[in-house]
Amino acid sequence: MKTTCTDVLVIGTGFGAAAPALRLAQAGAKVVMIEKGPKVETADFRQTSDPKYIRKYLKGISGDHLHLTYAEALGGGSGFYEMVSLRAPTLAFEQLDDAGRPLWPAGVDRRTLDPYYELAERMLHVAQIPIEEVPKTGLVFARLMKQLGYSVDRCRYAVRGCQGSGFCVTGCIYGAKQSLFLNYLPQAVAAGAAIETDVEAFAIQPLPARWREGTTLCDMPYRYQVTARRRSDGALILFAARTVILGGGTVGTAKLLSASRPYLRHLSEHVGQNIAYNGSVKVAALLPEDAPDADMFTGRTHPGMVSYQFLGSHGITVHAVKALPLMLVSAAHLRVRGDTRTPDFWGAANVELMRQLRHRMIILDAFGLTPPGATLRTVADDTRVSLPLTARLRTYHAETKRVLESILVRSGCRMVDTDFLDESFLPRDDIHFTTAHQVGSCRMADSKERGVVDASGEVFGYPGLYVSDGATIPSSLAVNTSLTILANAERIAAGLIERYRLPCPLAA
Amino acid sequence: MQDNISRRQLLQQLGLIAAGLAAACTPVRVLVNAYPQRFDDDPVLVDRVLSAFVTAVIPGAAAGDPDLTRAFTDRDYPFAPFAAFFAADLERRARARFGEAFERLSPAARTALIADGLAADATSRKLYSGAIALAQIACYAGIYDAKKGCTLIGFEGGYHFPQLADITYPEPTRFLAAALTPDGNYA
Repeated sequence: MKTTCTDVLVIGTGFGAAAPALRLAQAGAKVVMIEKGPKVETADFRQTSDPKYIRKYLKGISGDHLHLTYAEALGGGSGFYEMVSLRAPTLAFEQLDDAGRPLWPAGVDRRTLDPYYELAERMLHVAQIPIEEVPKTGLVFARLMKQLGYSVDRCRYAVRGCQGSGFCVTGCIYGAKQSLFLNYLPQAVAAGAAIETDVEAFAIQPLPARWREGTTLCDMPYRYQVTARRRSDGALILFAARTVILGGGTVGTAKLLSASRPYLRHLSEHVGQNIAYNGSVKVAALLPEDAPDADMFTGRTHPGMVSYQFLGSHGITVHAVKALPLMLVSAAHLRVRGDTRTPDFWGAANVELMRQLRHRMIILDAFGLTPPGATLRTVADDTRVSLPLTARLRTYHAETKRVLESILVRSGCRMVDTDFLDESFLPRDDIHFTTAHQVGSCRMADSKERGVVDASGEVFGYPGLYVSDGATIPSSLAVNTSLTILANAERIAAGLIERYRLPCPLAA
Repeated sequence: MQDNISRRQLLQQLGLIAAGLAAACTPVRVLVNAYPQRFDDDPVLVDRVLSAFVTAVIPGAAAGDPDLTRAFTDRDYPFAPFAAFFAADLERRARARFGEAFERLSPAARTALIADGLAADATSRKLYSGAIALAQIACYAGIYDAKKGCTLIGFEGGYHFPQLADITYPEPTRFLAAALTPDGNYA
């Protein structure tokens, strides 16, 4: 079996992987990226509600009280996200654990990330949505908040020339959304990086090697062997790398490190633990007669506005949600509160409600600073996630729901009760969070006793083995996570370049 | 013996042994294929029953739509192995309660029978819930034709190209509340 030797092997091609691959390639290192998902580009995307198409790229992991959605494709989630690109508020970096200790390691906070946020924003052309492009759903949400005396801000997006088709989450067919295969990845290739898709790493082994601290990258011995498999034909592929960077996402990186534990015996016990998930709470209602049409189906998927009104008081941000019919009916049974007709979630009453979905329904969603309490476990090939429902979480859920319902009821809306569904389309019997904002399965910390990697992203006890993706982010952010993951990956890349004494690409 | 009979025959024999149990327990009835053979042999019959089911779940759904019941027998979805059994179960309930074929019942009677299925044993509840969800997903989302959507609820599907005037309102500033940030990022 042939072994591919490289200075840097980057596992993954999403937000956490793209920045170090680009910066290290620009600095002259030989970089190979591997991605287990398929190659994808703008021409592959479709504006469809076909579950078969969606399941090709978007995967899910369920378990007790939590469901995680993630992407497997070139560019990771960047092809399918809502392109919301917000900096995490300072409050997010100041969160403490149950023992009163900071969740974030010393030296990593909003101020240290700000230059990297700026860099990431430039790369993705992030800008605040122009007033004249805010979709109707966002404007109606803003109107409700305004009438109650609450603030709303125009949101920021990674997009150029948005056409407002409403199918952001199935991939932008116009190439307007700034997915990573439009910027970071082709720039990395132009700088000399190689990208192999359809290749899944499944074991990392340290190689016997000696070096002195301060050795430049090209003088380093090969320190890790990574065994991978081509998914199409099962062929095994070996890589030997001086440095390995894990960027396969919160789920992928934790699974790979867990699978490699027989070879990495000194890994922290925190691998797969401490997953934070932005505690999303959703409520739905029908708008009052005098409210304008909140057209659910036109304009960008994320409707343009975010409210920080309750961030200081409740630790939540609030926004409106636009749901295509597929997302709605596969997620919940809906019934108008007080409507006693049977059947309720199907039949005539349901058709009547679905006819109001487009123009009269409004859905509010809150993202919160919920504690990092979920765990990922793989037994055989079955990976499950579990989230203990603590009293604190129950209180958070109830209070957040109360805030959202209060906004709607005081605005004259009629509430729509939602029974969220399990995989068998049966109503869940308890609180269940769903998210695509999972972070923290291999979190940064000041010591191995509290996390998996240090503030530079290096795995405790394994020099030259790094994690640079969402798995390192140690807390919920209360805003969409992609920009913070990318900014932190830029920070980790800058640290690597400094550590290995590579020429700084940004200076050039 | 197993070499000389088909799997279906074997399962039916097992079904006879477990007849009492099979009558009461849906999982066993599914396992032993204890439903009329014609539902396995006649896809047109199954389609007629399922069409009657979908139009009861979604009153107003176009009965002549060739995609109306397609998802139930689409092998890419987990319902397909149970489609014939499900149609037979609807038919059995219809005969038992109304003495009439399911497809010939009034919408109200079909609705009542579906409610019966949802209120029956746990496996029936799962089967009927899944069937309702599949009907709603396929119809409301228009999963077999990206451009078709669902006229019943005003969803036009994909590949429609809205103008800016369709997306937003004129003079949008009249809607906006005070902002807390200069650029959308909270400090």
